[in-house]
Amino acid sequence: MRPPIHSTLHLIIPALVVWAASTLAEPVAPTPAKMALADLLKVQATVQMTLGKVRPAVVAIQTGDGTASGVIIAEDGLILTAAHVAEKPGRELRVVLEDGKMAKAITLGLDRTTDAALMQLKDTERKWPFVIVSREVVKAEPGQWCFALGHPGGFDNARGVVLRVGRIVKQTANSLQTDCVLMGGDSGGPLFNMAGEVIGIHSQIWEGRDENMHVSMAPFLRSWEDMKSSRVIRVWGTGSGGFLGVATGLGETGRLEVLEVIGGSPAQQAGLKTGDVITALNGEVMTDQPQFTNGVRARAAGDVIKLRVLSGSTEREVDVKLGTKPKEEEG
Amino acid sequence: MRTLLVSILLAPLLHAGMRAPLTPAERTNGTETLSLVEPLGTQTAAVTACIVNKDGKQQTTATWVGDDGYLLTKASDAPRLEDCRVRWAEGMEAMIREIRRDPVHDLVLAQAVGVTGVTAVEFESAPAPTYGQWLVAPAKGGKEFRIGVLSAQRRRIPGMGAAIGVRMDERSADGKGVRIIGIAEDSPAAAAGLRANDVMLELAGEQLSEYKRVHEIISKRQPGEEIEVRFRRDGKENRVQVRLASRTKILQNWDGEDFANGGISVRTDNFPQVLQHDLPLGTRDMGGPLVDLQGRALGINISRVDRVTTFALPADVFWPTVRSWIETDRHPPKALRP
Repeated sequence: MRPPIHSTLHLIIPALVVWAASTLAEPVAPTPAKMALADLLKVQATVQMTLGKVRPAVVAIQTGDGTASGVIIAEDGLILTAAHVAEKPGRELRVVLEDGKMAKAITLGLDRTTDAALMQLKDTERKWPFVIVSREVVKAEPGQWCFALGHPGGFDNARGVVLRVGRIVKQTANSLQTDCVLMGGDSGGPLFNMAGEVIGIHSQIWEGRDENMHVSMAPFLRSWEDMKSSRVIRVWGTGSGGFLGVATGLGETGRLEVLEVIGGSPAQQAGLKTGDVITALNGEVMTDQPQFTNGVRARAAGDVIKLRVLSGSTEREVDVKLGTKPKEEEG
Repeated sequence: MRTLLVSILLAPLLHAGMRAPLTPAERTNGTETLSLVEPLGTQTAAVTACIVNKDGKQQTTATWVGDDGYLLTKASDAPRLEDCRVRWAEGMEAMIREIRRDPVHDLVLAQAVGVTGVTAVEFESAPAPTYGQWLVAPAKGGKEFRIGVLSAQRRRIPGMGAAIGVRMDERSADGKGVRIIGIAEDSPAAAAGLRANDVMLELAGEQLSEYKRVHEIISKRQPGEEIEVRFRRDGKENRVQVRLASRTKILQNWDGEDFANGGISVRTDNFPQVLQHDLPLGTRDMGGPLVDLQGRALGINISRVDRVTTFALPADVFWPTVRSWIETDRHPPKALRP
């Protein structure tokens, strides 16, 4: 039992186990060019010049039981945030602007697998301060300088929005890792490139200081129309490797839950059900969705994986033979 | 061979054309990036010393403020300064004479006994840093340094009182004492070794029978102060000294959810003015100087608050007072003779 000690429940999801893949050997690929002191000074000048323009578009979001961040990306008040902030389409949430003024917004569509979500400020007549979204997703690559803004710990008028400057550490299909240090309350806030364009949305942290994860613009751009139409996006954990046939995401308790099971898939045949919690894959403790998806993708069709599954209060181990991805479930 | 095998296995996971992740050295506080400002590292190390306890363990960082051995450090993390020693440069070490504590700024002025010729920091004309400006500070007593930016507005941090980090049973334990039912992570109570189910019998010499009284006793005190707890565990009675911490941070970090990496300072609030920055420092790095890329000292790091926040005191809020204390100490008034 835990007493109500929090005035705010922080919405960055902490994950204690380091993602195995990130600790393995560095692959052979081009490395960024060497820096000079002039580069640092240029970063400082660019950040200071850009800050004033982008700050008014950064908002705090009050979710009822917690506090998070977001960023306005269109004059009519469209907001990017994280799916674990929005939770579901159609919720009315209060938004705090830079000057402390409050406004109401409605959650639109979201993608729980990648943690991307859209919201709309209700007053669409007003000209809201906004920033530009970078459409060149691949250019946000390791070595690039970037800066994070957000409201860690919640909105604080005397403090203002909090800046972190750092570099992109890692780029994956749907996410970015940076050394811009984040914490609870930053969730949903923007990561900017040196042109002042949004390249990421703060999503989760691992224990290490350099382990700060952001949703890249890829899932937003890919599902833009669906998300604007308040749809919930499902990306199946299949990839190029073996096919399991479950959609997973972090549940309200921060555990990896089965959100949906494809009919006729290996997962269904093994008895997995919506609401089950996956605690381990081949003995490795599972704490988040990308870790699980990568674990499945790394194995080929025909491989047998051992899942530890919690249904209600009963925990069991199931062996699942991975199949081949059906064509219609592409993407 | 083994490394090669791992690389081959990983290769299909990487998208074609994607750049490899940054190595630790290439990151913002990696050795490659820091080498760009290396002269500043040497410069900040020269004005930095290390306060170590009897066991040789670092407690805080100190900043030299007089070439005749005057130093400043964070008061609440250096409770018994005269039991400590100061270390600096290669193999230099001295005893410490405590001069005066400044509870408003959580600083303590002291002097390294018999020491001259150290490099003192220049706080006289400290410039005001701007939002987003690069800053540099020593870490590990001056052996390393870190960079980051000024990350929020300069402001006052109101005090929210002290706490020890225990949750208590609201019913009194057998009419005598107050039972602990939960302990906050990294809290003073945890550091002192208190546990759930211990029964607190006495606090600061006062017998306890009501949990509300615990709050009253503690709320009169400041973070950094020590308080004696007499308690009963498994039928045996014992005493511990508990050093109070800021209440806000204990509540926000009850289950260690801040991921502060290296802990948070005992006192994190009740400062008249602070500069906030994002340098990845630890609690023991507090008391060291904060400088800009031109090597000009801006203030003293005073509190590691959470994963994203470190506070520094701007020089203009403490230096006029501290300077006058040093002058008074150097030239004590002569006794008047009739």
